Formats: sequence, C-alpha cells, structure tokens
Amino acid sequence: MRKNNTISAVEQSPFPHVVVEDFLDDDTLDLVIDALAGLEYSFSESDLFSYWASVKLTDIDHPALNVLREDLGDRSWRKEVTQAFQVSKLSRIDMAAYVYGQGDFLLPHDDQVEDRIIAYSLHLTPDLEELDGGSLDLFEGRKDGTSKLVKSIIPKFNSLNMFEVSETSWHQVSEILTDIQRLTLTGWYHV
Amino acid sequence: MSEINFYYLEKPTLSNLNRIFGSADIPFIRLSKFLSKEEVNFEMKSQRDEKIGFYKRYVRPSHLGDFWESKDFLSFLESGTGLNLKFRSSQGQTYGPGDYSLLHSEEFERKRLVVVYDFTNNWNIEWGGHDIYTSPEKDPLICNRDAGTLMLTLLDEGDYSCTRYVSLKSDSKVVIDKVIFDLK
Repeated sequence: MRKNNTISAVEQSPFPHVVVEDFLDDDTLDLVIDALAGLEYSFSESDLFSYWASVKLTDIDHPALNVLREDLGDRSWRKEVTQAFQVSKLSRIDMAAYVYGQGDFLLPHDDQVEDRIIAYSLHLTPDLEELDGGSLDLFEGRKDGTSKLVKSIIPKFNSLNMFEVSETSWHQVSEILTDIQRLTLTGWYHV
Repeated sequence: MSEINFYYLEKPTLSNLNRIFGSADIPFIRLSKFLSKEEVNFEMKSQRDEKIGFYKRYVRPSHLGDFWESKDFLSFLESGTGLNLKFRSSQGQTYGPGDYSLLHSEEFERKRLVVVYDFTNNWNIEWGGHDIYTSPEKDPLICNRDAGTLMLTLLDEGDYSCTRYVSLKSDSKVVIDKVIFDLK
C-alpha cells in the first residue's frame, strides 16, 4: 500500500519534476523488492545505454506487483499526478525493473516516445551516495544544442521520482562508479 | 607531411587489402602502424562540440592536416579499396571522460568511406571509447582503440558510426582524426 498519498509542489526548472519520498509502506516495500529480486534480468547495451532490464511487468500476475500496479495506477493516485503536473487524463501505465551495475549508464535523452506524458522511477536501493554515481541528472537544453546540468537527484530509497515528458525533458542516469546495484522500477503514464 | 608505411604501398599488400575489404560483412580494413612518419600538429586549439542527445566532445582541424587530402593518400585509398573517391572533410576529435557520440548523429548521411586514424595512448578497454559501426540486418562492427592504426569502413545510407561513451574513470582520452570520402 502507499504510505504517501500526496505530491508536494512540482518543481518547474529545468522541466516539471517532483520527488515523492516514502512512497510505499514497509510491508509492501519488502514484498516488492523480493518480487523484483526473483525476476530474470537481461543485459542490454547500445550507444545510449548499458543496464540490466527485466521483462515488461505490466501484465505479470504476482501479488506484490499487482499491489504496486494498483498503488501507481489507481484512480486517486492518477488524479493526484494529473493535478500535480496539470496534465490531461492519464491512460495506461507501463513498467519494468532496471538494474545498473558498475560502469552502467544512460546518456542524455528526452523520453519522447509514443504518447508518454509522465515518467516515473521508484528507487529501491538503500544508502546510495553521490560517490556511487547513478544520479538522475536533469539538463537544461539550449537552442544551440549545448546543455547545462541543472540538477542531480541522488536516488533515495523508497522515493518515487516523476517528471513530465516533453521536448525539453533531457535527463540521464550517471555512470555507476562503485560496486553497487541500482535497482529501480521505471515506466511511464501515457496520455 | 606524414608518410605511409611502405608495406602498405606494395602491390601484393594492396591486392590483399582489396580482397579483405570487399569480403567483409560491413566493408572494413584495420591497418596497424599505418604511418612510417607521423607529422602531427598539436598546436591547433580544440573547441567544445556538443549537441545534447547526439554528441559531446572536443573538435579541431585534423591532427595530420593536409595529409588526408594528399594525392598519395587518395591513391592508396583507391588502390586498397577499389573505390573511386573524393575527399569531403576531415576533423580531429577528442573524447574525454563522459564524452560520447550517438549513432543517430549520422541519420541523414549518404554512402561514404569513413577513415579513422587513432592517436589514443594508454587505453584500457574497460573505459569504452571504441568506435561502433552499424548496418541494418548485420552484426555491428566494434573497433577498439589502438594508436597508429588506420580504419577504413564503407557505410551506406542508413548505416551509422559513433564513438562509445568514455567512462568517468578513464585516465586518458580518445584522440582521432575522422575523415570522410564520398564515392564518385
């Protein structure tokens, strides 16, 4: 079950984003982490990224994942997200789990694919520190193509990061620099 | 002016290169110790070259200057590849920790011969920074760093190349000349 049912003020710079801390209650959190630990992950690599990804979790019937889908997708939470970001009605939600190990990364991109409107990432690695890498970096893209790193969010355990997907939502996951595993459950709400 | 290693100018070698180049899945040759005399101009200043989501690196005029436009080099290229070529551009590129280029930077390219000469020293393969060439329905080609090596790759429209992200742990930098020839 959700522990936190409210979204505080959405920050607008460099693009609308928010961090919801203590998203799940302790029992649900334990069950979700156990469920994700039991999944198979495949190594995926391209010019843009390097990480381990699970299969899509949208349709998997598992007690803990079913609860999580409800927590992220029930009517009251969608309403909260819609109001916080002032976007139109949200339709389907998709999700997958990702593990970033030492040397893994995701380079700057804007997430604009199909009809994604809000990106989310539930962080499930305790005690991640700046020196470990794996921060969610937000960029301000300039008209000349250059960019400025405006904000680095060090993922906090059990925090849900969300941002609005647009042509300005440039972000990256910085390279993992130590022997840790950065586990997230990530996906998008669609228009 | 830099000089090509005499071995690569001999008829049997050129004939072999021609055969190897034509038989690869993505036409490609890798020639180590390509130059017997390397005349590098390190005085030219580099400038930051960034387009977010496409590339982040330093660029400058090519390290070997006019060599890439010389008759000797063109003659070698045409004999070694069997192609009829015309010089288009050359550029010195440097990729430090955190730098990269992505494949879709070449989205609107036409058929071309890509020439890369490597000046990178003291490289560790774990730092990334290798060159990647892709062509639809074919296995990608990965070229690791090796100072003094020349790489020739024939890419078609829809084929791409890039330099892989360089790890923040890298103690060195990828330094290359990238030269493009069009087909006549």
